[in-house]
Amino acid sequence: MGNKQTIFSAQQLDAYQDCTYFTRKEILRLFSRYRDLAPQLVPLDYTHQPDVKLPYELIGSMPELKDNPFRQRIAEVFSEDGEGNMTLDDFLDMFSVLSEMAPRDLKAYYAFKIYDFNNDDFICKLDLVKTLNKLTRNELTEDEVRMVCEKVMDEADMDNDGRLSLEDFQHVIVRAPEFLSTFHIRI
Amino acid sequence: MSHYSDGSFYNPAYHDSETLELDRRPPFKPRHSNPYAQDPPPPWQAARASAVSTVTGPWANADPWEGGAGGGLRALGALPLGPRPSQHQEPPWQRQPDHSSVHGEGSFHDAAGPSRFPATFSANMTMRLRGMRRMSMFPNGDPSHLSITEGAIRNELEYEEQNLVKELMACSTKERIEGIRKLPMTYHEKKHIRNRVLASKSSKKSRHLSCLADCSERMSLSLRRGASGVAAARQALDLWQGTMKEVGGSFGSSVLSYFLFLKSLLLLNVFSFVINFSFITVPMLAYDHVPHVPPNVTFRGLELLTGAGYFRYTVLYYGAYRADSSTGLLHYNIQLAYFFTIAAYMVLCGAAVLYSMASSFKMNYVLSDPVGGGSWQLLCTWDFSVTNEKAVRQRKNNLRIQLKESMSERSQGTSLTPAEKMRHFGIHLGAWFISTSMAVGCGNAIYYLSQYEQQQATNTEDWSPAREAETLLVPFVVSLINLVVPLFYSLFNKFELYSSQRRQIYALIIRNVILKMSILGILCYFWVNEVAHKFLCWESMVGQALYRLVVFDFFFMMLGSFFGEFLSKVIGTRWIPGLGVPEFDVARNVLDLIYAQTLAWIGIYFSPLLPVLQIFKFLVLFYLKKVSLIQNCQPPRRVGRAAQMKTIFIALLFFPSFVGSLSLLAYTSWSLTPSRFCGPFKGLDSTFSVVVVWMNSLEKVPAAAWAVWVYANVVRSEIFYFLVTIIILFITFVFWQVTQGRKLLILLLRQQIVNEGKDKTFLLDKLQALQKSHPTQPKSKIKKQRRSGGSSTGVRSSSNAMVQTFLSVEQGSRGTYLREPPSPSHLSISFQRTPLPSERQSPSDALGLTLRAGQRAEVHQPWTPPASDPLVQPPWTPPSEDPLVRVMRARDAYEGPPVPLDGGTSSASGVMMQVMEARRRAEGGGGRGGPERIGPGSSSALIQAMLARQQAQNEYDDGY
Repeated sequence: MGNKQTIFSAQQLDAYQDCTYFTRKEILRLFSRYRDLAPQLVPLDYTHQPDVKLPYELIGSMPELKDNPFRQRIAEVFSEDGEGNMTLDDFLDMFSVLSEMAPRDLKAYYAFKIYDFNNDDFICKLDLVKTLNKLTRNELTEDEVRMVCEKVMDEADMDNDGRLSLEDFQHVIVRAPEFLSTFHIRI
Repeated sequence: MSHYSDGSFYNPAYHDSETLELDRRPPFKPRHSNPYAQDPPPPWQAARASAVSTVTGPWANADPWEGGAGGGLRALGALPLGPRPSQHQEPPWQRQPDHSSVHGEGSFHDAAGPSRFPATFSANMTMRLRGMRRMSMFPNGDPSHLSITEGAIRNELEYEEQNLVKELMACSTKERIEGIRKLPMTYHEKKHIRNRVLASKSSKKSRHLSCLADCSERMSLSLRRGASGVAAARQALDLWQGTMKEVGGSFGSSVLSYFLFLKSLLLLNVFSFVINFSFITVPMLAYDHVPHVPPNVTFRGLELLTGAGYFRYTVLYYGAYRADSSTGLLHYNIQLAYFFTIAAYMVLCGAAVLYSMASSFKMNYVLSDPVGGGSWQLLCTWDFSVTNEKAVRQRKNNLRIQLKESMSERSQGTSLTPAEKMRHFGIHLGAWFISTSMAVGCGNAIYYLSQYEQQQATNTEDWSPAREAETLLVPFVVSLINLVVPLFYSLFNKFELYSSQRRQIYALIIRNVILKMSILGILCYFWVNEVAHKFLCWESMVGQALYRLVVFDFFFMMLGSFFGEFLSKVIGTRWIPGLGVPEFDVARNVLDLIYAQTLAWIGIYFSPLLPVLQIFKFLVLFYLKKVSLIQNCQPPRRVGRAAQMKTIFIALLFFPSFVGSLSLLAYTSWSLTPSRFCGPFKGLDSTFSVVVVWMNSLEKVPAAAWAVWVYANVVRSEIFYFLVTIIILFITFVFWQVTQGRKLLILLLRQQIVNEGKDKTFLLDKLQALQKSHPTQPKSKIKKQRRSGGSSTGVRSSSNAMVQTFLSVEQGSRGTYLREPPSPSHLSISFQRTPLPSERQSPSDALGLTLRAGQRAEVHQPWTPPASDPLVQPPWTPPSEDPLVRVMRARDAYEGPPVPLDGGTSSASGVMMQVMEARRRAEGGGGRGGPERIGPGSSSALIQAMLARQQAQNEYDDGY
């Protein structure tokens, strides 16, 4: 791997490789994707760890995310400030979890957080209604929404506490093997 | 989930040290999330914290600064979770002072090394806990609350981090990286952990620096480098990444799976081509690079279609390989190479297909829900890889329709009259009958057609072009049948009414498979039984037939995508708008691929270079299908269970396709006589006898005696296969039994979960009933409880016990081991933050009580403990206990269920009753051992108590 690059130091690259599911080449590619969002903001030299944060508006405009109904939640969950503004590290972290290599439990954990709109560590009925509205463009009647949510709760809520904990959610995920291939964004 | 359930792992740092008795408590049920921290802790908690510290501080030691336990308590007290003495921490009036001081000292003097913790969680568990906690700790990120508990949180995180670092250090390099990657944390935290692990690793290494360790470290590093290099190379080889992304982006993962399947088949063929070419063709060409073409045969161009004529004499077919060509400088046995290359290829293919089938089966089939519900539809089906705006819109529409359908299905129910049932059954039976007889009819037709064609064919070496063109009849008919009959089958779907869509798809797939297998079966039968006895060089004839089949299959696939996709799009958009744009039929297309691959597998023996054609075919098909898909198709309307379909396709590739071709090849090489006048095996009785000959020649070489022995005693002995079969049967039986046992276990566990839920609802009902029937004042209740608590536990006050109940399970091993001595400044700060009762403006009596009591406790307990402090005395001193108890109780009362303005304290008392009851149950279950040990019986009651309290808290939150 002889090609010279001065964006990251060797230690930085090692750390990135150890903490994400990306290879060196992918990290550099992701960096260029990140930089393409705002070339005037992101420096080409990351060896001194500049404090750069791209606002959510830019992150959400990526072609990979811009049509995703959950784009704002994704950005919020993965950004350190919780508002969708992302540093390069957050950015790499996000695509690492959404990559093919990430194991199911890690994916399930973040999917849970994405669906947990009010950040209360539980997917409650309100969260389900929100999810449903995002997924169906608000075209279901209130009655139908209620029915669907009840059905979901009925099926997934193992301990009958009226909301889904992470464990309940993982139970659902285990039984739905599609999840691994659908919770995946190609870069 | 099985992931998490495997027990604790061994942490030498913990087990090898002289562990404190305190550490060796039975493992606690790990906390999954922290329900208490959902709200930012109100400031008055800090008051309580200080109160607890003041009371419990002195018992650890006369000097609280020295005691490790005291330090732990300080951390405990300041936690946002609210203070709770953990299991072993009992009030001073119960414990001998010297006893506790021993513990305190022990832990204090050990502070040189990193603190030890019970390594009862697996790494994953801890990691997940950590993540959960991070999530719950700062729900709103409100800095005003954070400042109060900052120290405590830092302590807790520090503790967990150390634990984690320790766990990670015990792993190998690869596991460590995996473990770090798996952590549900932000990148910064991961990096921090990683740096800590690396730092402590290197410091450890510097201590025990040895050549061996150094070498192994270097080895693992270079291995890692190599592994990442391999990964990078693999990615560089990853074909069509952009195309895959585009397809997945606009059509979702179910259509993408077709392209992935195509790609893996292509790679399989590339592999086959590489080994065939390098081990069979290249050595052959090295000795004899000019094809032995008779002088009157020239290349006419028709060969490209028929594979006959000029091609017949090239290395494309079996006939051109000659065993006698291997007599050169280097002795290369073409016979053995031919046999073993193809055998190795088949074995490797079988292993690859079997492995992917098994893993896919495990992942997608065994675990998946047998009854497709709505929850996965909502929570798991959104395809995050879809990036096309139109596709997103369509997907939303489809999901909406699907949800509506599933709801209407449910409301309708499935109640059919017997007459209707009979009618459905009749239709199914008829459809099956028609489809099967069609398959049989097609097979018959092909058989007679082949016979007719074979009667025309002769052994002459030059065929006229017309004669050559005649050979195209059979492959044309076969491909036509393959194209047309499946369309009939899909017409049946209009008449048949299946209760579920899945069944419909399965029926369609099974019918298609029957059709294709009957056609191929008939052809194979014909080749083996008639062609093999008629022609001089029959292997080449079969190879040509297969060549033609492959070529025609290719043309018809192209035609199929033209007619099936392009034309129906034109018709659907221009002339009959009702039809709409066609969907991409994944099932039909994948079945076509499986058929194509079967042909390639069968042909590998008769035509070793057939994979070239196959590679070309798949490459063109990939681009063609991609263009056709993007131009003509819309994403499938139904979000099917793509993962299950994928498993079925791999299974089909294995069972009829691979197993069928393997058995044909095996039959050919064991039972059929190779042609006398051409091919590498001429003159042998069967292909396999090449191995016999080889073994006979090896017998003369003493060094190869073992190989001969293996051949004689293993390969050729029935008893070996008999034993292997018996062993495999036995193992299968054992695993089957294990499966049955697991099934039972799963049932029981499910039942248990349901029971837990019932318990919870029962407790909640009881709580509500109590709320209605006991509108007592908390004051009187407190007295009552204190009495009852005193009588039941002797010394311990009931409120203390109650708090212990709540907090002990979660608290676990955490607080006690933190070594920092309590700092009075912290406590005073927290006290200062405590607002005055007037500021809170709470109507609750309990709150006022809390605050007052907190202040009183503060006053009663100065921080530098004077000798005259009443608390230092071991016997219980009621005056100072009083405020504490009241603080705790009041706090609990305040925290409880909704405290409405109008005399709402009644509900608070309800919770307390509830909790007391749970506590009593816990006591009863755990026996006199008390909270020192949480027995299995009592722990469940404890959990129930916690749940009840959590519920109350939620109700309070909602009400507030």
